[in-house]
Amino acid sequence: MNRYVKLVNFELGRFMKVYIALIGITIISQLAAVIVVSKSYLNNANQAMNVDHMAIETFIEQYGRMSFNDVTNSIFFIGPIALCIVTLLIYSLFIWYRDWFGKNTFIYRLLMLPTARLNVYLAKASAIFLFVLGLVGLQILLLPLERMILQWMVPIDLRWDLSINEMIRNFDRLGIMLPYSIAEFAIHYGIGFMAVIVLFTIIMFERCYRLKGILLGIGYGALALIVFFLPVFVQEFMLYNYFYPEELFMLMLVTGLLVTAGSIWMSNHLLTRKIRV
Amino acid sequence: MIEVKDITKKFGRKQVLRGVTFTAAKGEITCLIGINGVGKTTILNAIMALTPINSGQILIDGAKINKKSYEKITFIPDAITMLPQMTIGQSMQFMQDFYESWNQERATELLGFFKLKPEEKISSLSKGNTAKVNLLLGLALDVDYLLMDEPFSGIDIFSREQIAEVFTSHLVEDRGVIITTHEINDIEHLIDQVILLDDGIVVKAFNSEEIRENEGKSVVDVMREVYQQ
Amino acid sequence: MSVSFNKRDPVYIQVVRQFKEKIATGTFEPGQEIPSRRELANQLKINPNTAQRAYKEMEEEGLIYTEGNNPSRITKDEHVLAAVRGELLEEAVDSFITSIRRIQVPFDELVEVMKEKYQRQSEEEGGK
Repeated sequence: MNRYVKLVNFELGRFMKVYIALIGITIISQLAAVIVVSKSYLNNANQAMNVDHMAIETFIEQYGRMSFNDVTNSIFFIGPIALCIVTLLIYSLFIWYRDWFGKNTFIYRLLMLPTARLNVYLAKASAIFLFVLGLVGLQILLLPLERMILQWMVPIDLRWDLSINEMIRNFDRLGIMLPYSIAEFAIHYGIGFMAVIVLFTIIMFERCYRLKGILLGIGYGALALIVFFLPVFVQEFMLYNYFYPEELFMLMLVTGLLVTAGSIWMSNHLLTRKIRV
Repeated sequence: MIEVKDITKKFGRKQVLRGVTFTAAKGEITCLIGINGVGKTTILNAIMALTPINSGQILIDGAKINKKSYEKITFIPDAITMLPQMTIGQSMQFMQDFYESWNQERATELLGFFKLKPEEKISSLSKGNTAKVNLLLGLALDVDYLLMDEPFSGIDIFSREQIAEVFTSHLVEDRGVIITTHEINDIEHLIDQVILLDDGIVVKAFNSEEIRENEGKSVVDVMREVYQQ
Repeated sequence: MSVSFNKRDPVYIQVVRQFKEKIATGTFEPGQEIPSRRELANQLKINPNTAQRAYKEMEEEGLIYTEGNNPSRITKDEHVLAAVRGELLEEAVDSFITSIRRIQVPFDELVEVMKEKYQRQSEEEGGK
């Protein structure tokens, strides 16, 4: 096993407890969302039909059939997603800073490993990326299960069945996470990966130059943003819809790769020549 | 041989090193001495490429440090380099996983010598035992050069004696050792070269046995002369 | 074999001196095997290079000898052994006389006191 793979494995292990807790919270909370939302809809229906003696058709007319959209709009459904996103965002910073601060000096060990320091960097980026993919995978597995529970609880004449695709499309926030074409998937996560790398580069600037590094880092982040969106700016302000959408896409692919590669190069330079413990 | 050539280092406006030059040979124990804040640790960090220098050059066996060098030279800082939640055994496993120069046999021997238990968690260790684990992780590497930052500071006398014993054993034999200290008494008889630092420069460099032979002075005598001028 | 060293004399000279004392008093017998350089460094808590230097010095003085890859041994050369004893005696007497001179004791009185003290100490040691 090469040292990069070992490092990824090690980084995954360091966050595993929190990560498993996140998974647990997501599963419990989302299942609870399905149950709570279904239950309250059923209670409504019971109340309407058994107490107010409303006909089923009238009830459906007034309240509508229950669909999975009711679940995805629940705070118990969105909450854990937001929690996971925020936690991973914070951890993207903490994955570096935890090695500098505290009683131990693990950064000494990491920087003194007989391997390219870029491997340490890429291992941390890969770990973040794998954590994201893992949670997305979890969501993909959870959706059919949650639909099953809903179908099991709510009788067929009271519900509106959605395909998994429809479930995702009807929910914007899921749409970003789970695009329905492979190309879109690659774009979304490519941009995500680029963002992590740019963030890491900013952290590297701060770690090398401390206070001054924060300014340099912010400057670098702005530059990365400008370079990435350059084709859009050119399109909007200079050439006025000169490019076809496919061309624009290709150009942004190029600038995105440029930003990612440039950030990795810059980080490597900082890690090997400028870093301080 | 480790060659430190005219290195300078600024922290903000503070000039910590103003052109430090010395060499440390293989098979010798070189001791960097100076009051706290004189830049001893910075020099070790610079040798290991853990902090950039402003000018000058550092060569290890004639070459600049690179990733492969870490199989040949290692650094034992004054704090543990492993995660507190790891056990001693896990720390050793980590080293074995990443270093070809890790010598498991020697590690086990050191474990016995220091009377440490592999299942103990690093966070639960006493200060003396933490220092010993730190030392173990460095000494069990088959490296040519060993850098130690204040290996004796802040630990009890029995741990100190045990650590001093390491210096006279096969564990450091034939290696080049650089250690920093501000407390020379424990190790005066153990060291070869003495590098006295003050105000960012080397004020005096000498062989401790030669200064006794030629001038009839102890290392502390020389320090007194240099620092109390 | 733990001893404390003074800090102003070269350690290797102090080590050589200890060997001479042990040879003179018979603790080390002629032809006896002695510790390796590393063992000695470890026993005395001194730098291995210093131990090395001490052995080199002793080899040059003929106090010890090494055959091939075997451990070093104390010399069997009667002349050298006698010389060691003589050297130590001479040194001790020299420093004794220097300190006696300072308090200006007449020689006869000195001999008398010496005889008495030496005998009493020997008796005490023998009685133990």
